[in-house]
Amino acid sequence: NLNVPKARNRKIQMGEFKVHRIRFFDYMPSAIRAMAFSTRTERLALARADGALEIFNFSDNYFQEKVLPGHDGRAVEALCWVGPRLFSAGLNGEITEYDLENLRPRYTVDAYGGPIWTIGVNSQGTLLAVGCEDGTVKMFEVLKERIQFQRNLDRQRGRIISLSWHPSGTLIAAGMMDMIRIFDAETGRATHRLVVDRGAGASKSKEVVVWSIAFLSDYTIISSDSAGKVQIWDGLNGTLIRTHLITKWDVLALSVSQDESSLVAGTSEGTVVQFQFLSSTVDRLDKDWVRTRTFKNHSHDVRALAHTETAVVSGGMDTQLVVRPLLDKVEKNTRESAIRKVSFPHRSLVCCAKKAGVLLFQFPDHLELWRLGESDGYGKPGGSLPVKRGPEKLIQLKRKGEDHICCSALSPCGGWLAYSTVTSFRLYRLLNGSISICKVSKLPKDLRPAHQLCFSTDSSKLFASSSNSSVVVVALNEPECKYLGTLKAKYGCRQPVHLLSASENGKWLATANTDCEVHVYNLDKLKLHCTVPVYGSCPTAMAIHPTTSNLVVVHADQQIFEYSLVKKEYTEWSRRLQKQGLHSLWLERDTPITHVTFNPKNPAHIIVQDLFMFCIIDKSLPLPEAKNVLYNQMTLRSLPEPDRVLHSHGFKICKDFQHLLCVSLLEDHSLVVVERPLLDIVSQLPAPVRQKKFAT
Amino acid sequence: MNTNNSRCIAAVVKARSLREHRPANGSAGMQGGGRVRSRSLSVTMRRSAMTLQNNMAKNQRGEAAPSSRMTGRERQMGGFSLLLESSDDEGPEEVTFEDSKADARRSMKRALDTARREKELLKEKRRKRQELFQEQKKRKLLSAEVLEEIDSTKQEQSHVKAAEEEAEPEEVEGRKRNWKQNAARNLKGNYTVTTVKQSTLASSQLKAAEDFLHSRMYGPGSRRTTSNEMLSLENKMGKNKSAAVQFVKKNWACQKKAKAEKLKKTWIHMQQIPSS
Repeated sequence: NLNVPKARNRKIQMGEFKVHRIRFFDYMPSAIRAMAFSTRTERLALARADGALEIFNFSDNYFQEKVLPGHDGRAVEALCWVGPRLFSAGLNGEITEYDLENLRPRYTVDAYGGPIWTIGVNSQGTLLAVGCEDGTVKMFEVLKERIQFQRNLDRQRGRIISLSWHPSGTLIAAGMMDMIRIFDAETGRATHRLVVDRGAGASKSKEVVVWSIAFLSDYTIISSDSAGKVQIWDGLNGTLIRTHLITKWDVLALSVSQDESSLVAGTSEGTVVQFQFLSSTVDRLDKDWVRTRTFKNHSHDVRALAHTETAVVSGGMDTQLVVRPLLDKVEKNTRESAIRKVSFPHRSLVCCAKKAGVLLFQFPDHLELWRLGESDGYGKPGGSLPVKRGPEKLIQLKRKGEDHICCSALSPCGGWLAYSTVTSFRLYRLLNGSISICKVSKLPKDLRPAHQLCFSTDSSKLFASSSNSSVVVVALNEPECKYLGTLKAKYGCRQPVHLLSASENGKWLATANTDCEVHVYNLDKLKLHCTVPVYGSCPTAMAIHPTTSNLVVVHADQQIFEYSLVKKEYTEWSRRLQKQGLHSLWLERDTPITHVTFNPKNPAHIIVQDLFMFCIIDKSLPLPEAKNVLYNQMTLRSLPEPDRVLHSHGFKICKDFQHLLCVSLLEDHSLVVVERPLLDIVSQLPAPVRQKKFAT
Repeated sequence: MNTNNSRCIAAVVKARSLREHRPANGSAGMQGGGRVRSRSLSVTMRRSAMTLQNNMAKNQRGEAAPSSRMTGRERQMGGFSLLLESSDDEGPEEVTFEDSKADARRSMKRALDTARREKELLKEKRRKRQELFQEQKKRKLLSAEVLEEIDSTKQEQSHVKAAEEEAEPEEVEGRKRNWKQNAARNLKGNYTVTTVKQSTLASSQLKAAEDFLHSRMYGPGSRRTTSNEMLSLENKMGKNKSAAVQFVKKNWACQKKAKAEKLKKTWIHMQQIPSS
């Protein structure tokens, strides 16, 4: 746990920065448990082991649009899209439908079959089938506002681990222990029983679990089991066509492409094996499932797979989401063909109180408050300074109830702390230099659970985003907080607000929602001031400049816009940037900017940060052209002073700190850099399989 | 008839020479049980041959044939026996039927006895082993049992005491001491111990399902290693070879380090006091 202040000396209009390098944020992501891709909306829904759900927009640079916080005991095992609706089933025996506009579960239905292992919808979208621990496949009718239990299929002896509908909706194939059952969906009778071989050797005594199953339209059934086999069956006759042994461990997941020409299987080794329906000869008569590619993108078990039209999406116990484009569907060596790994959330989990020098870390089940360390003296650029007083953890606040923390915020003076779950909202007062904490009990009733929280710079107001993109404004007072008003967006905005930014002078508040709408409110009048023209990509970070009142918005496709709130138009610099275009290397970055801040000493500076770098954009310097080197800080340092001016451009990027979770500028002009090295996360993951390698 | 007879005799002699151990006791003519295929033999001769053969067979088997019967038959074919005995090279041993019978009986009894003894020995071994296992199991389960008992009712306090007394002396000394301490702390005053959140059927089923998943993926036979080892292997085999991850165990002797830190602080403080 280092807090080593370092001095950085950049002579070119950057000034000196003392850097607080923070590594004591023990952020630990949760394993990916299930996935479902909706081709219609191009959204991927992801369920994690702690019950959290994430929605990724695949058409917007794989941006993590929405995060629904988890719940103790939700234990999601399977996800299913029914049109635009999202359903999940879990080991708690419940089917949950989610409200994606309010980021919470809409309702839950108990299936009364014990833990539910799998869920599947028929191609017409009318019936939902769930496979339960007690051996029944239960059918639910999908109605407009709810689901309703219809009937049980024939009860089997043994749990139903996986199921798949035939595209016609007449048959269901269910994977159980040691066998596969084919059901007639109309009569409910089990028509065929396909016996799956157990493994050889020691595994012969253990039952083989059919982890995943797929029913194709030509009545072929593809199954994957714990003995490491992918088997191809004839679903009409109930016979085995082919067995492929792809691993010594379990094959945990299967996914078939929409056109049924390709399927992928995920194993416990972390490999994803692709099979394609190809013919060995030129004529297309004798097509067969042939093993083609093997991808090794994970170090731990792959538990969830999705096969989109152009890519294979995999996730598992190593908590990383990997999107691997298939090179026969995309153009080679382009941005689209690059592999994408999402290891960290696309939103900030760290809040920095600039005046107090206190950090707030958000975990799913608790909050931590830390005071930054201090150091005297100066040092060489790049050297470390002696620490006079180390960082100390002031408060650890555990959440109440079973819902996980959705959002949290710390006031800049360090005196107020607020957090919200899907069911409750809590506000705390911090005293004696943020050491003692007491809960504010009298809260206005309009202050409902929020998706995003923000304090005003003078710590007098709290902004909490609510339903329909509205924001509730509350005045912070000691015994009782007063409700000041609700800022309403124009009619028809339903998506949740995921970004909130208040200006330093207390006059403006900017909100952004997942529909890419950015609204700016006048806080003096508590009314909508203006709406920024909608840009096709979702905003990922934004901030209002303290002196010029320009709103800087960064989007998921890495575009940057600067909008003048006073003049209600884009600034001249922004127009110049759009005209010239951003550097190609900037646009090719695959992690979004999660934080925008400004430098009080230099009004021309904009500091932006993503996972691998932070950049100081100097508006007074020329913009980098396509032929310039973008990452030129190292080379500039080696040049003599007069030459530096010639070669420098406005994007000064620093890549010294990696896996950045937050970069912030304190009032005393020292930089706070919160890092979370990936190695620290990987070393705490559960056990991977033991691979025997030569010479080890 | 005569040629037949002579042929029979020749056959019998041949048969006799083939069977060395057959005591020549009885007529030569009508011997050779089964091998003699002569349809023209008179019934009486055949019968007598059969009886002779029977007697000889009985003798071989060591069965007791009443001597009176024997002698009677011998009288019948007295002439035959004389013929046989005279043409025999080696005389059989004089072993009476009772002796051989008794011998055979003894050997069989001995064999049966040893078999029985072995079986009993094995049984005894198995039983002892089973007892040992059950004892070990009881020892293991004992603490959990005791926990449950404390959990349910107040009366169980006495059971705890009894269980502790019953506990084997080989039980882990620390555990026992802890238990004694805990028991001593908890047994004062009137109170009940219950869980804060009642565990429902759903939560127990959820736990069972999670246990099933965990045992399939990480249970015995899953052939797993640790993340640390995996990363260390990568370091070893990678392009830039480096040391194992967590080569130096940084979290060793935490308490000692904390103690040393405290000592250092107090020492510095002490140094500052005389100077001020």
